[in-house]
Amino acid sequence: MRVLGCLDATNAEQIGHAAQMFTTSEPLEIALLAVIDIGPREDIDRMRERFLRPPMHHQPITEEMLAAETAAAQDIVKAGLGYVKDAEILLRHGRPELEIVKAAAEWGADVIVICARSEYGEPPHVGPRSVGHVARFVLDHAPCPVLLLRKLAREHFPIHH
Amino acid sequence: MFLYFPLSEFWRTFLTSFIGLLTLAGIMTRPFRWNESRIAMAGAFAMLLLGLIRPAVAATTLLRDWNTFLFFLGMMGLSALAETAGLFDWLAVRAAQLARGSAARLFLNVFLLGSVISMIFSNDATALILTPVVYVLVTKLRLPVLPYLFACTFIADTASFLLPISNPINIIVMSHFPLDLFSFLRLLFLPSLIVIAINVAMFYWLYRAQLKGKFDFSLLPTAEKAVKHKAYFRYTLWVLAFVAPSYVVASALQFPVSIVAVVGALLLLAGALFWKRTTLLEAGKGISWSIFGFIAGMFVVVRAIQDTGLTAKLGNLLLHLSGGTSFGAVMVGTFGAALGTNLINNVPMAVVMTSSLVSIQHAAPAIRNGFVAATMFGCDLGPNLTTVGSLATILWLLILRERDVEVSGLDYFKVGALVTPVMLFAGALTIWLLL
Repeated sequence: MRVLGCLDATNAEQIGHAAQMFTTSEPLEIALLAVIDIGPREDIDRMRERFLRPPMHHQPITEEMLAAETAAAQDIVKAGLGYVKDAEILLRHGRPELEIVKAAAEWGADVIVICARSEYGEPPHVGPRSVGHVARFVLDHAPCPVLLLRKLAREHFPIHH
Repeated sequence: MFLYFPLSEFWRTFLTSFIGLLTLAGIMTRPFRWNESRIAMAGAFAMLLLGLIRPAVAATTLLRDWNTFLFFLGMMGLSALAETAGLFDWLAVRAAQLARGSAARLFLNVFLLGSVISMIFSNDATALILTPVVYVLVTKLRLPVLPYLFACTFIADTASFLLPISNPINIIVMSHFPLDLFSFLRLLFLPSLIVIAINVAMFYWLYRAQLKGKFDFSLLPTAEKAVKHKAYFRYTLWVLAFVAPSYVVASALQFPVSIVAVVGALLLLAGALFWKRTTLLEAGKGISWSIFGFIAGMFVVVRAIQDTGLTAKLGNLLLHLSGGTSFGAVMVGTFGAALGTNLINNVPMAVVMTSSLVSIQHAAPAIRNGFVAATMFGCDLGPNLTTVGSLATILWLLILRERDVEVSGLDYFKVGALVTPVMLFAGALTIWLLL
């Protein structure tokens, strides 16, 4: 079975634990995917357009941005490898939602493991909008089954309407 | 050429408005990704070639606005040369140090830093220089990028009417409707503080979940590392310590602020050349020269339209819509200018509004001042509605989204559509109360 785990800055542990659920599958291949999101840079370029300035190519700050992004991505990958030691690493640039579905198709994933959204220390969220736009896009467009991870939130139940 | 062939008033007006509308539509839609300055210049040349504006009138119009052109030059030079010194990186690191590891405090510090930079360097510096610097910083700190990016881009405009020099739009409007510093501050300083407070409060609420974390202090680069050359950095601080109060004094004395900006930029340039931090060619690259073509083209096009009496009609329409009350003047001025900036960019909108307001000179002072303050307020803050582009861009992004293509930019629009109308209304109401 080929399992593609989608890393972000906050979910290495969750993805790692989820990957362990597949250990009974033989043969098992796990890849960890980290995507450097180009969206913010596109936004900055679009804003420069509004201020009648050309895009940010070939400026010293562009190199700094790239270096910071790469270092952050390497940290994310390192954290992921801490939980899934022998995983193959896929590092891509682009819009995360698109890169995940493209990577799943190209790598031949049998299942995509993804978290519902990035969580920065807030309590588990249950209800509408609890699935972020990246996970939602992947659910809609994935070429294979998707395992959606979310934190335990039993205290939210039973639901009263 | 038509100058030499008598045209009836009707045809003159028709041709002028046709070219004017075509120019504005071109700026809105940018066919074939043409540069806006090329479109504005083409409109101006068409007006001149067809004799719809006399060359002498066009030249007088441009010369009359020398303060605006020089201010753009000085402002861009100051920002670019301060960036060369590493000032913005240094300030961003200091802001992070003062946050003491708290993501929420860093968020507030980014707002405060953006406000100060907009106030002294104008909104261009915050939007174009501080935003990527903050992006690098929060990426290094492993914090969620978007809230901080949004904070930078929004505060650039939200804090752009703290002082007359905080936005070149203010200079364009005040070149035609001079306001002494006291009147400017009386009408716009408090509204500015109020909209900044609303911006901060709403963003805290919107991003409360992402701002709960802490960042690792050890990931923070030292402030010294941001300084690229100690002597030039210290010199830059001294020059800015001279420029900032000089702006205030110049505004108070109604002395052209552009001269302060250009002198400041020349002092920084001299220092940068002395310490070999830049070359003339490099410094020239820090200036967006096409902006001058854009502004010049717009000034000529709008002047030709003004001569047909069309902008006066727009002014009278605005006056009519205001119902002849100061409240109406502020609301119509604010929301009209804000809507226009999202259709045709804020520079042309400010030029059109300024030209239109010439016809309401005879109105009561409260109404006239209400329109002038509202024009600056609406044109400065309005772009936050579609921060990363015009309404045309947003429509295009929405079409792409409908086709299932995930696009960036729409997040900005969602936030802008939620926050900006509240800020516009609260600010306009405050201006009216202060009239």
